[in-house]
Amino acid sequence: MKVPRIAGDVAELPTVTFGHRSLMWWGTLGFMVIEGWTTALLVAAYLYLRQNYETWPPLRTPYPSLLIPSINLAILLFSIIPAKMTERCAKQLDEDGVKRWLVIMSAVTIPTVVIRWWELWALNTRWDSTAYGSAAWTVVGFHTSLLLLDVIDTVGLTLFYHVKRMPVKSFSDTADNSFYWYFTVGIWIPVYLVVYVGPRVF
Amino acid sequence: MKGVEDGADRALPVDMTIPPEQIERESQQLDAVWRGKPGLWGWLTNVDHKTLGKRYLVTAFLMFIAGGIEAALMRAQLARPENSLIGPDRYNQLFTVHGTTMMFLFAVPIMTAMGVYFVPLMIGARSVAFPRLNAFGYWNYVVAVVFLYVSLFANTGPDTGWFAYVPLSGPQYSPGHRVDVWAQVVTFTEISALTAAVNIIVTSFKMRAPGMSLNRIPIFVWAQIVVAFMILFAMPAVATASTLMLATDRAVSMHWFNPAEGGDALLWQHIFWFFGHPEVYIIFLPAMGMVTPIVETFCRRRVFGYTAIVMANITTAFFAFGLWVHHMFATPIPELGQSLFTAASMIIAIPTGIQIFCWLVTMWSSRPSLRVPMLFILGFLFTFVNGGITGVMLASVAFDKQAHDTFFVVAHLHYVLLGGGVMPLFGAFYFWFPKITGRSLGETLGKWHFWLFVIGVNVTFFPMHILGLEGMPRRVYTYLAVTGWGRLNLIATIGAVTIATSVLLFVINAIKSLRSSTVAEANPWQASGLEWSVASPPPSYNFLNAPVVESRHPLWDTSLDLPVLTGFRTDRREVLVTTTFAAHPDARHAAPSDSIWPLYLALCMAVVFIGSIFSPYFVLGGLGLALIGMAGWGWTESVPQGRERVATPAVIPERT
Repeated sequence: MKVPRIAGDVAELPTVTFGHRSLMWWGTLGFMVIEGWTTALLVAAYLYLRQNYETWPPLRTPYPSLLIPSINLAILLFSIIPAKMTERCAKQLDEDGVKRWLVIMSAVTIPTVVIRWWELWALNTRWDSTAYGSAAWTVVGFHTSLLLLDVIDTVGLTLFYHVKRMPVKSFSDTADNSFYWYFTVGIWIPVYLVVYVGPRVF
Repeated sequence: MKGVEDGADRALPVDMTIPPEQIERESQQLDAVWRGKPGLWGWLTNVDHKTLGKRYLVTAFLMFIAGGIEAALMRAQLARPENSLIGPDRYNQLFTVHGTTMMFLFAVPIMTAMGVYFVPLMIGARSVAFPRLNAFGYWNYVVAVVFLYVSLFANTGPDTGWFAYVPLSGPQYSPGHRVDVWAQVVTFTEISALTAAVNIIVTSFKMRAPGMSLNRIPIFVWAQIVVAFMILFAMPAVATASTLMLATDRAVSMHWFNPAEGGDALLWQHIFWFFGHPEVYIIFLPAMGMVTPIVETFCRRRVFGYTAIVMANITTAFFAFGLWVHHMFATPIPELGQSLFTAASMIIAIPTGIQIFCWLVTMWSSRPSLRVPMLFILGFLFTFVNGGITGVMLASVAFDKQAHDTFFVVAHLHYVLLGGGVMPLFGAFYFWFPKITGRSLGETLGKWHFWLFVIGVNVTFFPMHILGLEGMPRRVYTYLAVTGWGRLNLIATIGAVTIATSVLLFVINAIKSLRSSTVAEANPWQASGLEWSVASPPPSYNFLNAPVVESRHPLWDTSLDLPVLTGFRTDRREVLVTTTFAAHPDARHAAPSDSIWPLYLALCMAVVFIGSIFSPYFVLGGLGLALIGMAGWGWTESVPQGRERVATPAVIPERT
């Protein structure tokens, strides 16, 4: 058995870190890769099915409506602001700021999930009508699950911050929640373009 | 920070050794915070990576036995022509459940198990990065196991083959719930594999011992990292195919694969094999990672070509995603595509060959100690190379079209998976069994196990090459005597009995060893990795202090004393976070406590996915229940734990 020799001391290292210095940030990044890749595969499958049709959408299927999806896209893009402010306050360990901006972030992001219901119907087809409908519903539906997940996380953090004494490390988790939200919004842009705008183009 | 701020690459000052009484005191304090609670509740809430690794190992090995029993039943049925032991319907379920079990419930999870158990120990960490996520993944895996086997015994076992081709597996040709079971079993195993992959990547990148820069990572860990990345890109494909497409086609009348409504049956094959081919390497690369430390230890020398082996792993991973179409040569694929995938399928033999040559060079002129782990590596080299060569044959379109769906393919894939996956794995069992259990496996029984296994595998599967070339299709429950396939099939069945006997000997060996009173030393093989620096079995906290690594072979290169970093809190679970490339100490993070919520959430997933077969309302109900679980998980993780030192981008204030 070898004798342990003290080569240094870690007592002064930080115990709460942010961004890439935090384990949770890396875990979040891992799930972004998984979910981003799943979205990419679904979009690829959607485009693969395109080759089976003369027209896209298929005959007697109207184009997707653009109004509601565009409104929701605008809200999603706008929601980056409260998400960014929440992240900034978290990184400054500003608890009051975090509490305030989490409420605002929740208020802005909850409607995006609600509107998503009408956004699905704005596809103007049903999931069981054609393969086109199945693909469009699945791509948008999968993104909805990501959206829902992060809204639940945001609302949960908001409630926690207002009802209990949170540990310092929750500031880091809060910043990571914003990080995930940027991904959720960012990945929606190509999906929106392919599913709602795309049929008018190709 | 004292002592290490200049980086662990430089010579570290010899300050002092730790007094034995301090070691004793801190060991007790750490054990008190890291050890799981006793009793059933403690068993259900445990999140320790070693406990979960052992559970993964045992569960996956039970699945190996279950899959083996199914194989033995099939071999019994095929032992002679026109046999009536098993009817066609049961036979269809048997080969489907055998393939599904071996691929999804044995091979991937057991490689995960080895990673979950050993990666932290090999890199000098106290835990995986996300212990609760690890537990969540394990419980999802258990749900898959229970669901598949309950279904099989209820005569609802999947029956369309482990790759469940549409339209056969679609709603029109497979009414009932057999295929639904398959689709959802796959879902649970994907959740399990993905959570483990994220855990292994983050653990390996952020929790390595100070000084363990990228070029000092043990090759076993490199293989686990590469495979974890492959899982991130491969598993979403099969989850997409099974959960988001096949299951929805069957449950809510979607048309992904319905040509009448613009769907496409070939889409299934593309997406499935985009997962399915990398899957082979997901099984095989971790096994290759086990070969290196065994060869090093029993040849008493450092492996030749460390960098080449690591690069070969990474290259294999890249190529693995570019060959899936060679499973589809019998479909109307454009000729240019066929040529491209033929070339890619042949090219992938090169990095694999590089690894094999590196091991051969390492062994060359050494005097390998032929203990059981090393014997299994030699068995692996012989058997796997044969399987690899038939793989290159199958890469040729003309040959593949002849051999497609015949026993030649069955022979090839079993040579690769048993030779390339299971043989190194058995070697690894013998090698690391003392570390996991504190007991050594018997050498004599081990040699019997080895010889019977290697002979059994070759006797079972070599005749299948000939049967395939003679035209015997796979997945037939019987054949006529006039075909003349009876004798070779009988030989294959005798081989299967030999394999079963060898595995039985291994089980007896393991039980005997566990009951033995002879305790294994910390490093019985005089190996070089960090996992051998701790007691066998390792203490609950793995490492009392963070080991500092100064070379690739810390136990061989550090002559007398092992440098460590002290200063961790002993009143809570704490892990060291290091920088990604150089592994400089960067932070101390609190690790989460034991929790019931991973199990609870896995059960919610069971409600969602199993329930979805019967009604969409189960999905809503399960998600509602999951909300409680998410809240519980978050609530119990967000508990203040005394004084913290915070590093924001600007300042490091102290906060409580």
